[in-house]
This record gives sequence, C-alpha cells and structure tokens, in this order.
Amino acid sequence: MKTVAVIFGSRSTEHDVSVVTAIASIIKPLELSKKFNVEAVYIAKDGAWYWDETLKDINLFSKGKIDDWLRKTKPASVQFDGGMTLVKEKGLGGRSVKRKIDVAFPATHGTFGEDGSLMGLLRMSNVPFVGCDMDASVLAMDKVLAKLLAMTHNLPTSPMQFADKAGYENNPKNFADACEKSLTYPMFVKPAHLGSSIGISRVKDRTELDNALEVAFHYDDKVLVEQEIPNLIEVTLPIMGNETPQPALLERPLTQAEDFFDFDTKYMHGGKKGKGNGTAGAQGYSELPAKLDPKLYAKAEKLGLDVYKALGCSGLARVDMLINSKTNEVYFNEVNPLPGSLYAHNWREAGISSIDLVQKLIDYAEQRWQTQQKQNTIFATSFLQQF
Amino acid sequence: MSNLRSMYGIRSAATIFTYMLQNVEYAPGPYVRWFWRTQDFSKVMYRRQLDLTKAARLIRLALIAGMTFQLVMGLLLLALWHWHGWMPGKYFGPILLVSYPLVWAHVVVAPLILGRELKVKPQQKKHITASKQIFEKHSAVKIAIAGSYGKTSMKELLLTVFGEGKKVAATPANKNVAISHAHFARKLEGDEAILLIEYGEGEPGDVRRFSETTQPTHGIITGLAPAHLDKYKTLQAAGEDIFSLADYLHGQNVYINAESLALQPFLKEQYQTYSAADTLGWKVSNVDIRLQGTGFTLSKGKQKLAVHSQLLGRHHIGPLSLAVALGLELGLSEAQVKAGVAKTAPYEHRMFPYKLGGAWIIDDTYNGNIEGIRAGTALLAELPAKRKMYVTPGLVDQGNEAESVHVEMGKLIAAAKPDKVVLMQNSATKHIQAGLESAGYQGEVQVETQPLDFYQNLEQYVAAGDLVLMQNDWTDNYA
Repeated sequence: MKTVAVIFGSRSTEHDVSVVTAIASIIKPLELSKKFNVEAVYIAKDGAWYWDETLKDINLFSKGKIDDWLRKTKPASVQFDGGMTLVKEKGLGGRSVKRKIDVAFPATHGTFGEDGSLMGLLRMSNVPFVGCDMDASVLAMDKVLAKLLAMTHNLPTSPMQFADKAGYENNPKNFADACEKSLTYPMFVKPAHLGSSIGISRVKDRTELDNALEVAFHYDDKVLVEQEIPNLIEVTLPIMGNETPQPALLERPLTQAEDFFDFDTKYMHGGKKGKGNGTAGAQGYSELPAKLDPKLYAKAEKLGLDVYKALGCSGLARVDMLINSKTNEVYFNEVNPLPGSLYAHNWREAGISSIDLVQKLIDYAEQRWQTQQKQNTIFATSFLQQF
Repeated sequence: MSNLRSMYGIRSAATIFTYMLQNVEYAPGPYVRWFWRTQDFSKVMYRRQLDLTKAARLIRLALIAGMTFQLVMGLLLLALWHWHGWMPGKYFGPILLVSYPLVWAHVVVAPLILGRELKVKPQQKKHITASKQIFEKHSAVKIAIAGSYGKTSMKELLLTVFGEGKKVAATPANKNVAISHAHFARKLEGDEAILLIEYGEGEPGDVRRFSETTQPTHGIITGLAPAHLDKYKTLQAAGEDIFSLADYLHGQNVYINAESLALQPFLKEQYQTYSAADTLGWKVSNVDIRLQGTGFTLSKGKQKLAVHSQLLGRHHIGPLSLAVALGLELGLSEAQVKAGVAKTAPYEHRMFPYKLGGAWIIDDTYNGNIEGIRAGTALLAELPAKRKMYVTPGLVDQGNEAESVHVEMGKLIAAAKPDKVVLMQNSATKHIQAGLESAGYQGEVQVETQPLDFYQNLEQYVAAGDLVLMQNDWTDNYA
C-alpha cells in the first residue's frame, strides 16, 4: 500500500479550516478506501511539524486538547533522501521511527501552505503531491497576479487598482485617490493573498475606503480594490484534472451583495446569513447546481475552465466568478487552489463520491509527477573541470 | 491481551456477560452458544453499549459480587497453603483464580432458567389459556398470517388498507409468539371487525398451537424459506408446521403466495393464491416501479382498479393485490381500498428509500431470508441508476443450508449487475463470493472488516446518481 502524508494546519489565518479539511474530507475517505497508509502531519501555529496517529482525531482539536498534546510531544522531522521520509522519536528510549512518503496531500489553506510555499518544498523533495503545483499556487493565491494574468489571456475580470504596503504607507491618499479616479463606488477592498474572505470589506464612500484599506493592510502587504459588479450573481466552480480538466457543478452561494461571504458566514454560522433556500455545503447554503440560463451556465463554465488552464492549475482548484445578471457578462474573480473541504459536497452532487475524489486527486498527483520526471533537469558541462 | 483484560477484569467481564444476555433477551441457550463461539471478548460490545436497565444492573451486580467472592476465596486458599501448609489450597486456590470468569459466565444463567421455568412459564401458560377464550368469543374476522418471511409486512399492509373502512386490530410490530397473542387478546375492545394475527414460528408445532389458541377464520401463508433451521432441521419440516394453519382451516379461506417456489409442493386445490400476475381472479397490468413507489392496475371482468403504493418493488404487487381483493370481499368500497393502498409505505429498514449525499439508499437491513434477497436484487436490477452498489453481511440462522443459500445469494446479486458489492466479513462471505464468481460477476467486490465503520460513513462512499441497496444486518451475537 502506498503511504500518503496529509499535511495540514500551518502558520495561517485559515489554520482551523485546514484541520477540518484534512481530517473530515481527506484522511477519513482515504482511510475508508483501504488503499493507502495514511499519515497525519500537522504543522502547528508556530511552524513545528508533528506526525502522529492521534492527530487524526478531530476531538483533539475541537475539544481544545491540542495545546496540551503539543507540550508533551516532540516535533517530527523530515528527511530529504531523494524523496521525503518522516522521522520521529518514539518511546522512552527515543527510538527513531521513519516512514517514507509516496504521495503528499497538502490540506493547508492560505499562507505557508496553499500559497505555493509547501508546494515548493514538496517539489524540491521530489515527492508527488496533490493539488496545484508551486507556480499555479503562487499565482492563484495572489489575487492581483491572477487577475493580471487573466487580463493577458483576454479573460474578463472586474476593474481594479492595487498597491503594496510600502507604497501605500508612503502616501495613503494617493492610492485612495487613484481608486476613486478609476473605479466607482461601491468597491471591494481585499488583501491580495488571503482566502476565506478574511479582511475583505465592501465600501460605499471615501471614509469606508480609508478604513477598509487600513484593515486590509493589517493582514497583508498587498491589497487590491475592485469595482463591484452590479446585479451580482456570485458563482463558483470546482475543477479537477491536469491536461484535461473536469468541472464539477456551478454553485451559487445564497447571499446578497451586501452580505458577501465573510469568514463567519462561511465557517461559523453555517452560511445562514444569506437568504433563500439552498443546499448546506461545506461553506454554508448554496444553490447547487446554480439555476442559470443554460447559455449563461455554459459561458461561466467555459470561463472557469479557461482560467484554470491560463493559470496552469492542476490537480484541483475552485474558480470564483461574478455575473452581472442584467447584461449576462461573466467576470473572473479569483482562484482557490485548495478549496475548503475539497468542495466534496459539490463533487458528490456531480457524481463523484468523497472516496473517489481523494483517489482521483492522488492519481492526478502521480501523473503530473511522472510527467515531470521525464523532463531533463541535468545539463552535462565541463564547467567544474575548468576549476 | 485486550481479550484477557476483558475476561479477567471483574467489572468489564460482568458488563460484557450482561450485555450478551441483554442482546439475546436473556435467553440462556443463545447466550451460552454465543459465549462459546466468541474468540475475543474485547470485541463483543461493538455496535452499542450495555443498556443499564434494572435487570441489567442486578445481573451485573450479582456477577461482580460472585466473581469477587471467588477471587477472594482463591487468594485465601493460596494463603492457607503458603502460611499454614494446607495442601488443598495449593491446587484449588489457582483453579478458583483462573476459572472465575468462566464459572460465573455460566452460573449467571441458572437463576434465569429457574425464573423462566418456575415463574415466567406458568404465568405465560395462564395468560395463553385465558386468551383462547377471548379469541373464541370474539366475532371478528380473524386473519392469521404465517410464513418464513413477509408476514409483518403483509400484516401492516392489510392493517393500512382494511383500516380505511373497518375497525381493525393487529398484533403489534413483530410480536408474534403465543404470549404476544395473549397480550394482544387482553387489549381487544370486543367491537373490532377484523383481527390480524401474525404467527412467528420458531420450532415444530408452533403454528398448530397458535392456530388452536387464536382460532382464525382466514389464513395467509406468505412464503417459505430457510429460517430457524436450527430447530426445524429441514425446510420440509418448517413447511409442514406453517401449513398446519391451512389444515386447521380445512383448506377454506386459505391464501398462499404463489411466488414462493418453496410453497409449491404444499399447495392443494382448495387453496387460493396471490401473485404479481393474478390474485383471486384479479389480473395485474400496467406495472410501474420507481423509487417513489409502485403502481399497477387490477382487472376482473369489466371491473378495473388502478392503485399506487409507496412501497418499493414488484414483490409487493402480490400482497397489495390480496389486500385489495380481500378488502373488497370483506365489504370495503373501491375508493376505500384505493385510499388504503395509497397509504401503504415502507417501514424503516424494510425496503426503505432515503437520500444520502445525493444518492438513493434502499435500507432493507431487516430483511433476513433468501426470498427477500431475491426481491431486493430484482428491484436493484429494475431501477435505473448511474452506479449501483449492493451491501450485505449475508443471512443468519441458515443451519446446514448456510453454504447453498449464500452461494445462491451470490448468484442473485450477480444477476442484478451492481457496479460494486460490499460484503461484511464473516463466515458467509466466502460462499457469497463463490456465488458471485460462479455467475461470472465482473464488478468490484469490497470485503469490509469494520461493518459499523462502513455503515456510519456510507455518505463518503456515495454520490449523486448512485443507488445503494443494503440487505440484512448482523447483530453482535451473529457477527
């Protein structure tokens, strides 16, 4: 049996969401498939890595026992031996226990995980890993870069302004003025790298804009301001695959424009902030599949797939889009390279069970890794002999 | 190690033995058989925990006291040998120390047997004798329902349909032995028009005794299949006992399920039959089977009656037709039987459909015989789905027929062509696999070693468009 290391937690504002994704949506179905040895690798909030069976128990986290457990447990280490081997000390004698990893399954959301950092480490260690590769993760997790890339592919996206922290702090007024000059209210202020709607504000005037920029720069060193799409329908499309990506179902979160999905709505209140009837999904209530005119549905699905390809996504990602329901224009909003709980509820509705989903994702990871192995990374020269 | 801890930890052993007794409703025989069959006592309490009823507390307390006493006595004997050189202590002390779980696991059944023989049985006999007089004086149409399978469903179905126009009383749930009939008789109000009495045969002579007590005017025999063969030994003996109901009625007002092949050798000319094609002269047509229910039309001469039930599957058409035909004979109007049939719906765990994670699950886990498997697999084959899954641990109480029944079961499953078969690992698994193999089954077979884990996480295995049929479930004493 192959050994799959599910890596979760990490130094991220989305640490807790990652724990749920890992234990409920990845470890459980992988173990039920009975086809893999599943190893739980937890990155604590201080960045230390732990590897233990106990970490598969959600009660350890939900009942607040994790801090006590961490105090009593020595962190694990990783051996880079042409692949990746987990190492930890066990028992009174400190006997060393090792486990070679065949596939890594990142379940980390946000910074130090979903943003390409972990993918870079896994790439370096030459171990196949699930989800988008490093470069696609970096692009996807930077909302500004993702939108700029979409623009170069002529994929529609809402008008924006962006600034980095240093530039903004030098002259905050300048940036706010630039936003007001090129965009109209209402606008959305977003930290460029954070997911789960953390630090996002909808602003209707200059005072709100200034405050929102302060908040956003508190979380991130790059911020973008987008013009709101009127008559908004928000939709999201989970996609998986490498060269031939396969879409799940277009899903419409049931919220109003003024109460967009903030963190609490998504994760803490079961998504009940919005109005209307829908399906309880991983991130609250939604319409699944989105009830759109078939032509509009197809248009949004195509844009989602185009964005997925343009950003070089592989394995799995979720593309969020905005629709102006009066003009039927569809705009790319952002890409989430590791959707919370893998968006398993959507895949189930699309006919793919949670067990099949995690297995398919592992297959995609191995396929991509095999393709990469065929690429020559060595170039023979006599350079060293000249010294 | 965990097995030894379970056996020699006084509190854990007492809890496990009490749990086992509770699980077999304090019947000494099944308890002792289960005890000797168990290889690992740490895994006995698997599906649930001990329900701490008054009786369970008392038994557990007695076991703890008894085992503690024996343990102390053993230590005392050893001490006598050690300090006073009393030689018997050297031999009997260790014996007492080693044997206390084994001894008390068996001693505990003695008061149960005595209580049953000296108190419960005489009391039950008195109630049963009294009930005979109640049934004799009652003027209602008394319909007895016997058979190895399908009798509870038939009773509930008749109750629903007849209840539309008559005052009907029926034996509750699956309470179908003599003492249940006696309790039922005591609760009757006297003005019921129809009584429905279910006969739960368990050993030779049961049905004859039930008939003499309840004195039915009509009899329905729902089917014959290997069940309780530990007592009946052969299917023939079980059939003879069941047909003693027809003998009691001298063949009059006897209705036999023509779809049960095993009943065929017992058929006599004066019996009437029911089936999905023809019931008491009513012909069946326009059959429409879906997950939302079963619809069909009954025709007799110029009379036509289109009915729809929420029950699932072709095998319900025969019993529903009988309910319609008998209902009309007993004075119900067409509108009443039609309304009654519309109200018939699946009961939990009996061909009960529900949605889970976008998939349709048909829960038939109370099904426990090969005819039920036949009906279920036929339904699975008939219903459309993107992906079909069949889940079962096999059947219990199959006696010497266990191998052949499970091979047959494997063949029936293969004929339904599910994409995946999930078998809960136990003694029946290899026989079902043999049946699947001999029928050339090409799909995926998953042998599940942790049944509870599978059932609790079923949602992880399914997706929209899937159809899952779960038939039968083994309780801890069979696992």
